Amino acid sequence: MRTSGLIKRNLTYFWQTNVVVILGVATAVAVLAGALLVGDSVRGSLREIFLQRLGQTDSAIVAEGFFREQLAGDLKSHPKFHLSGFIDVCPLIATKGAVSFDSGRGANEIAVYGVDGRFWQFHGRDRRPATGSEVFLSHSLATDLGVQLGQSLVLRVEKDSAIPVDSLHGRKEDLAGTLRVQVAAILSAADLGEFSLQPSQSGVRAVFIALGALQKELSQEKRANTILLSEANCGNEDSRDGIEGSISRLQALLQDTVGLEDAGINLRVLSDEQVSLETESRVLSDPIADAALKVASEGSFRTLPILSYLANSIEAGSKSIPYSLVTAVDETTFQQLSNADASLDQTAPPVDAASSALPSLVLNEWAAQDLGAKRGDRVALEYYLWHSGGRLETHRTDFQLVGVTPITGIAADRDLVPEYPGITESESLSDWDPPFPIDLGRVRKQDEDYWDQYRTTPKAFVQLNTGQDLWQSRFGKLTSVRLIGASGFAAQLRSELTPAEMGLQVLPVRSQGLDASKGATDFGAYFLYFSFFLVVSALLLAALFFRLGIEQRLREIGILRAIGYQPATVRRIFLTEGLILSFVGSLIGIAGALGYGALMILGLRTWWRDAVGTNALTLHLSTQTVLIGAGAGVLAASICIVLVLRRVSRQSTRSLILGNIEQGGVQYRGRPVSIYAALVLAVFGLALLLAASGNYISEVAGFFGSGLCFLVAALSYQSAWLRRASTMPVETGSRWGVWRLGFRNSTNRPVRSVLCIALIASAAFIIVAVDAFRRDSFGSTERKSGTGGYTIVAESLLPIVHDLNREEGREALNLSNTHDDKALTGVTFARFRLRPGDDASCLNLYQPKNPRILAASNDFIAESRFAFQGAVLGGETENPWALLNRVFPDGAVPVIADANSLTYVLHRAVGDDIPLQVGSGEVRLRVVAALSDSIFQSELLMSEANFLKLFPEQQGFKFFLIETPRANAELLATLEERLSEYGFDATSTAERLANYHRVENTYLSTFQMLGGLGLILGTLGMSAVLLRNVFEQRRELALLAAIGYNSSHFTRMIVAENALLVGLGLITGVACALLAIAPALMDRGGGGFNISLLVLLLAVLLTGLTASLVAALSVLKRPLLPALKSE
Amino acid sequence: MLGALEPPTIGTVTLDGQDPFKLNQTQLAAFRNRNIGFIFQDHCLLPQCSVMENVLTPTLVAKNNGNEDQRARDLLGAVGLLDRLEHRPAELSGGEKQRVALARALIMKPRLLLCDEPTGNLDQKTAEGVASLLFQLHEQQQTILIVVTHSQNLAGRFANRCELEEGHLKAL
Repeated sequence: MRTSGLIKRNLTYFWQTNVVVILGVATAVAVLAGALLVGDSVRGSLREIFLQRLGQTDSAIVAEGFFREQLAGDLKSHPKFHLSGFIDVCPLIATKGAVSFDSGRGANEIAVYGVDGRFWQFHGRDRRPATGSEVFLSHSLATDLGVQLGQSLVLRVEKDSAIPVDSLHGRKEDLAGTLRVQVAAILSAADLGEFSLQPSQSGVRAVFIALGALQKELSQEKRANTILLSEANCGNEDSRDGIEGSISRLQALLQDTVGLEDAGINLRVLSDEQVSLETESRVLSDPIADAALKVASEGSFRTLPILSYLANSIEAGSKSIPYSLVTAVDETTFQQLSNADASLDQTAPPVDAASSALPSLVLNEWAAQDLGAKRGDRVALEYYLWHSGGRLETHRTDFQLVGVTPITGIAADRDLVPEYPGITESESLSDWDPPFPIDLGRVRKQDEDYWDQYRTTPKAFVQLNTGQDLWQSRFGKLTSVRLIGASGFAAQLRSELTPAEMGLQVLPVRSQGLDASKGATDFGAYFLYFSFFLVVSALLLAALFFRLGIEQRLREIGILRAIGYQPATVRRIFLTEGLILSFVGSLIGIAGALGYGALMILGLRTWWRDAVGTNALTLHLSTQTVLIGAGAGVLAASICIVLVLRRVSRQSTRSLILGNIEQGGVQYRGRPVSIYAALVLAVFGLALLLAASGNYISEVAGFFGSGLCFLVAALSYQSAWLRRASTMPVETGSRWGVWRLGFRNSTNRPVRSVLCIALIASAAFIIVAVDAFRRDSFGSTERKSGTGGYTIVAESLLPIVHDLNREEGREALNLSNTHDDKALTGVTFARFRLRPGDDASCLNLYQPKNPRILAASNDFIAESRFAFQGAVLGGETENPWALLNRVFPDGAVPVIADANSLTYVLHRAVGDDIPLQVGSGEVRLRVVAALSDSIFQSELLMSEANFLKLFPEQQGFKFFLIETPRANAELLATLEERLSEYGFDATSTAERLANYHRVENTYLSTFQMLGGLGLILGTLGMSAVLLRNVFEQRRELALLAAIGYNSSHFTRMIVAENALLVGLGLITGVACALLAIAPALMDRGGGGFNISLLVLLLAVLLTGLTASLVAALSVLKRPLLPALKSE
Repeated sequence: MLGALEPPTIGTVTLDGQDPFKLNQTQLAAFRNRNIGFIFQDHCLLPQCSVMENVLTPTLVAKNNGNEDQRARDLLGAVGLLDRLEHRPAELSGGEKQRVALARALIMKPRLLLCDEPTGNLDQKTAEGVASLLFQLHEQQQTILIVVTHSQNLAGRFANRCELEEGHLKAL
């Protein structure tokens, strides 16, 4: 026989113990690998969801405004289109809308796609496109609305306003188009019903409408705002070069193809020699203006930058001219105008404009005559300014009249003013319909005569820098640029401007989305963290039984050594057996991992759906992951086995033959090493706790690290205590004598007893610790709480520019009839501008690459509401909000985020930077403070000034926090109803917080279940240990039976021993858990012990005792007395 | 059978007129506790208990009159282990363990003392010492002493001897 034969015999002969070792290892591997599989599955599912929704789209061209629909065709017909790797294009309109059903049900913030047959063809779908008033709905939307085929809906879509809403000439009302449509199809996700370019796991609520119908409703005929592109090899998504190469090729194609009209740039031909550069927004953005002037300068074209504005009045003395256009021109032109025809007023001396404190102004002769003004007189302009806070303000500026110009040449040019709807095309002044109030009663006959003759010819001129100081906005500081003799200018300007400067952005949507699919929350790591104790329990069980097996074979080991086997050889034999058991266990564990992973995914799809917000998760298998889990399990089990064997190796051959490994007689009279180890570990655990409290390490690391240290410290102490000579003395003269004998039995095998305690303690630890992190969902009305004292949070689909805190704002929004006035008494609104983006909260499983951003106004900042968890060093401790106005030398923009989102979703800390793509460049957002469990978990906040600088195109306010003097359930309904045309959607701040908490609490429930599994393992381990104890002590028990102990006495002894072990396990686990979570409890005010937790712990105690009792009694049923027979 | 551990298939066993096998299990256990002391070849001491505690083990399940501790000390003194009261069995020699077993067997002042190869695991000198103690205490405690042994020396010290030959007991 060879050693391998011996090993084989050993494995089969001691099959009972070996089976348990295998099962223990299998459990550990199943849990380890299964936890990792969960992570893979969530990532894989997110990827699948995203790819299904993307269809064939690889890249997209998107714009804030609209461009020619034909741009898509021009791209495709570019000679290098296919050579650059692109296959097809598809233009469409993608916008947001709201839909309502006759039943009263509705949905806001739905995706509206205007598509035609090209869309379905692009995605390889054989589908007849919607025509006329037909729409296709996504399945999610149809389910939400409860709508069926053929039924009618009212669809409201956001209209793009060429003239910024946040400007004087922008229309503030009627911002949405309305269509009555019919449901022609309900599309499943497989039919591309959930088409979306943004990754999100929740159901997409989408409407597909005929492109032509939508274009007509939005007054954007033959225009689109999105182009989809498919590529032949959509890069290797892991290859940075692949992605960037694709983007740069597309940008090159776009640069060649895009026209000025796609950016809303219009070159209005005025004459053979002159063109006027204007835009649809009626103001030139700075990039466009700078590019135009640069091209003109390089081409030596003559240019005239122009800023025209409407003055409500031009006043001189007691006279006034209403509603006049004023133009600001460059210095050269202004001087020409001021010196033009001085003969008109020979009596007035020349004006020394330089010595005057007032800015200079030139009137045309008509205006000068009407006002009776002459050079040197003071002339005042009164005009409106649209305040960014949402109100119209009247301003007045005094000028010194430095000249009077005849209405000739440039002074007679009515094209200095761009076309303003409602103004410039009117036949008379009384026909004017501007988006601001005018008093037509002020219009005189001579004003109408002027209009008849001169139309928009300016009545006054100022210097350009003066005009820009008064009338520039974030949208630009010129209304047009006049170009003289500029042939070829259009082509040169087009080449000068990049697509990004023209408002077109190229997005590698597929690669971005796949990157985001890696997930914000690493479920694999989380399941691994909380399965850790379960794994430890399984490994402890495996080690326990391996040890039991060894102890069963002590005599065998002693005999092998007695007959000449080297200790190393014996160790090798047993190690080989252990490794084989581990390997077999790991194979079974791999199968178990699939089951465990599948069970967890099923749980995430059903009972714990609140944690993930989708039921579209499926199990994804990864060989690598399973092998890693199996390898880790085998390694851990092998380490346990080696440690057990090391202990045995130290025993003498004689003691092994006698079958003694540890008789409980080894007692310490001094302080054993384990006491010191306990002290050191306890101190280290405390240090980790303090480090977590001080944010030197993450809260999760602090919790797990300190918890583990406290547990091991407690177990070390108990190990020393059980070995002490004086532990639990047996005494007579007391009714508890037999009980005390039972307690004393636990000191017989201290290691085994400690292992049992460890099993129970691990499970109890996880159950208690996790439960303490549950959050309540009662919204506080305190200003320094997570709600900031606000009771309602709302978002609107369309921007609301009027100030809801002012009477005129409410009037403009039809909120000020008698009833509403009462409802709104004492109600204040905090308004925020919103840049749409990815949800940065735990509600979003995808990594937010482009987080939502809110703009905090100075008023909001000054109020210093909400509780903070941290701020940058040197920050304003009184009001961290003020950090939003900090200026960083490196140009980083300060932002504030919620601490939960920061840690668990964005994976950043206070002081870190978050990169953000803005246009063609990148901006670094620097986190300056973290809010504590706030309602802002879905977004970042920056100052309004920075917001308007970075995102000038975002108009109006779309996010509102509402403070009410008392609980007011009616107000919510009133606001939603009155502001329904804006798609106003309100909810209580308590409910918003509850949504976040629901996710967190569901995670905790999930992880508690794992603790419950650990408990079951611990209980099984206890029963097995007891069985073994009783078996080993059968001779002693037989002796006790002989001297008069009956079954009742034995029962008491067994219950006593196990009550002690289970009780110590529970106390150890609970106490260590409370210590580990103490900082979190203090920080968050999390829920303490609750009844269900106490019931659970009681169940642990009873289960442990019952299982142990049942197992022991089953052994005691066999006769003990034969054990006394010596032969 | 003599120790009331297993009932005879035929015949009866009585001790002071009491047939223990007519008692129920609880009464039988109490009968053994009060009336019979056992000493085995393998001492069967509880490894987790001290010497004193091992001796007191039978008293935990009996109705006691309160002077068990003193009696245990007296017995341990008689077997020469008064200075090892707090020691565990693992710290004792084979002979010392058997002396503890002897003290335990006598703590309840049994009528009958049964010994199964009490010196079987001991060397000759130790065996003689234990055997002497056995006789000494048997006389002091006025118990009925029955010993099963392979040792001719030990057997030779008894007045009444029987030999088990092919399943039959023969008086010598």
